[in-house]
Amino acid sequence: MTRRAALGGMAAAGAGFALFGPRGERARASVDGRIVLDYWEKWTRHEGDAMEKVIAAFNASQDRIHVRYVVTSDIGQKSLIAIGSGNPPDLIGLYSFNIPFYAEAGAIIPMDELAPKFGVTLDRYAAGVRQVMRHKGRWWATVNTAGSIALYYNRELFRKVGLDPDRPPSTIAELDEAHRKLSKIGDDGKKLERVGFLHREPGWWSWLWAYHFGGAIYSPDGGTGGGGVSLTASDANIRAMEWMQSYARDLGVDRVKSFQEGFGNYFTPENPFLTGKVGMIVQGPWIANLVQAFKPDLDYGVAPFPTVSGHAADQPVGLIDTDVLVIPRNARHPEASMEFIAWTQRQDMSELLATAHCKPSPLAVASDEFLSRHPNRGIRVHYAIFGSNRAYIAPKTPTWQQFKDEFDSAVQRVWRLEALPREVMGGLQSRTQAIIDHAAAQRRRRNA
Amino acid sequence: MRAQGSASRVRPRFGSTARGLLWVSPWLVGSAAFLFVPMAMSLYYSLTDYPLLEPPLWSGLDNYRRMADDPVFLRVVKNTALFCVLSIPLQTILAIVLAVLLNGRIPLRRTIQACIFIPTLVPLIASAMVWMWLFNGELGLVNRVLSVLGVDGPAWLVDRDWVMPSMVLMSLWGVGQAMIVFLAALQDVPRQLYEAARIDGMGALRQFSSVTLPMISPAILFNVISLTIACVQVFAIPYVMFRKPDGTNPAGHFYTMYLYENAFVYGNMGYASAMAWVQLLVVLVLTGVMLLASRRLVHYRRV
Repeated sequence: MTRRAALGGMAAAGAGFALFGPRGERARASVDGRIVLDYWEKWTRHEGDAMEKVIAAFNASQDRIHVRYVVTSDIGQKSLIAIGSGNPPDLIGLYSFNIPFYAEAGAIIPMDELAPKFGVTLDRYAAGVRQVMRHKGRWWATVNTAGSIALYYNRELFRKVGLDPDRPPSTIAELDEAHRKLSKIGDDGKKLERVGFLHREPGWWSWLWAYHFGGAIYSPDGGTGGGGVSLTASDANIRAMEWMQSYARDLGVDRVKSFQEGFGNYFTPENPFLTGKVGMIVQGPWIANLVQAFKPDLDYGVAPFPTVSGHAADQPVGLIDTDVLVIPRNARHPEASMEFIAWTQRQDMSELLATAHCKPSPLAVASDEFLSRHPNRGIRVHYAIFGSNRAYIAPKTPTWQQFKDEFDSAVQRVWRLEALPREVMGGLQSRTQAIIDHAAAQRRRRNA
Repeated sequence: MRAQGSASRVRPRFGSTARGLLWVSPWLVGSAAFLFVPMAMSLYYSLTDYPLLEPPLWSGLDNYRRMADDPVFLRVVKNTALFCVLSIPLQTILAIVLAVLLNGRIPLRRTIQACIFIPTLVPLIASAMVWMWLFNGELGLVNRVLSVLGVDGPAWLVDRDWVMPSMVLMSLWGVGQAMIVFLAALQDVPRQLYEAARIDGMGALRQFSSVTLPMISPAILFNVISLTIACVQVFAIPYVMFRKPDGTNPAGHFYTMYLYENAFVYGNMGYASAMAWVQLLVVLVLTGVMLLASRRLVHYRRV
């Protein structure tokens, strides 16, 4: 055989192996005779380290299953492709808003029968958290970490401008008053030096204000299309948008633009809440990790985000946002996967993870030690939202990602004073309703 | 006699076609597996409702019809078209000007050529990050320089009116590649033509328009077609710069971004495939028009 023929043969063999050789299955069959579970999760750094500790403890606790932690960026997109192509991992850590889309497509395995076999039952979770686990009457996911969204405020700045740091704003009117006192324009009269409250900082939940004006932006019931109803043009949302727009008008759109451009990224010491450029922000409990890392001496307070009418005792209004664990369709070892999930839902493991992520545990009962040692001083506020029957979650529609992008785009128009909220939200309602109805019609065709 | 003997040695023999096919088979297999089959599949998907997680369901031309009623689709078409209209001529003109300047005898010519070309080697994401800092309205170098000149710079990447100019300016960053092609074309223009032009009394500008431009017109055509394809498909830089957790800046929303969002964020693979086919058709039509126009405008030298 000539050298050229040999090289050609080797290249052909290599190409053949790459195209048709063993994939996934054989590569992850076993470690020391154990079943290997691939677990895709989005967390890195201290959040990923904590999950790896939970996994290491599980792997050491028995000799049948070995869980492998695979850090996966853009987890939503990659999971879509992996499940769609029929080669998914054994476990995926998604966001709670993903559940309706995956559940309605039958892409994840329901847990109603599977979870109780391993001692995991819904009643173990905080009441508010349970909302995200179920969709259309079935249980689809467990919650590995959960956060509720609240108002974080700078107590030192409160004192400086004559506000009582022990009495955070409870109503929208009080928030407006605190905002006015905290906001400061530079001596040149052009630039903002400090702002009391900015709806667009960090702007991750541009849609939640309606819930604090006594309304909602979506209802799963009603509507002619059967896919739910967009309520973006409801009175509550329009009032909320008018309220938001009044801030943009008062502060000056251009001034806010240049002010915000001076902010550092969220995960840096230049975060505007840490630097004192913004006195109050809407945030999740994890921000306490940033405080610890970059400005441990920051004197901050936590309160439920205000509503127009204030909060009823023990029933604060607030958003619950969670990370969920799901078992994808075609997972090779659903029982083993559930066994691992059950391990992560134990109180000690859940609290270990929650402490590292600086979040409340999703379970209904928290140990005294967990609460007393928790790095977030406002953790009890977050728990109160978990237990509240006025807590809310992201709209449960499979079209949520598109709905939210449309909403964000509309909010930008309102914020930039390009049109009146009623006009923008009216158009948005037609558009989002069309998206919902189209998805519902496709679902009906598939189910027919 | 010798020539005849030589021809008989290279005369095709039985099996040479098969052997030839065998040697090009990696390309044939690769093209089939990674180009023609996916293209055929995407054409089929464009005629279906395909949410990725479930099998495609035939929906005929529904995806194509929906585009006309989709305001976001119309917005990204408008943004992408505007970007093409502004960026392609500017890039082409700047590349020609730079190539002409660097074709002369100027000091540090090679170094300057390398400096202009190097940015094209920088990964797109890295250059997007650099430009985000340069164009930062408050802290960016661009506005710092403008402030020294007494100009109050805009919020380049936030203000809707300035997003497109920012994108066009950034696209000029990658002009080095086109410049190198033009430089090669310029060096290929016969000196005698310039001498004849001078004898005929042509000035520098007339020489440029009557000699240089026609002689490099095939390179111009090649560059304009390449730039058109690249501009219609612009994705990575605006995706990094304008898609944020608090929403995408509508002025920085481009066709391929929306296509990607439909495919992998919203789970509308059928709609995304239809968008991809529309995009391909647009590129084909534009290329066809340019090739037709080139019959009159492009001068090919006969060898």
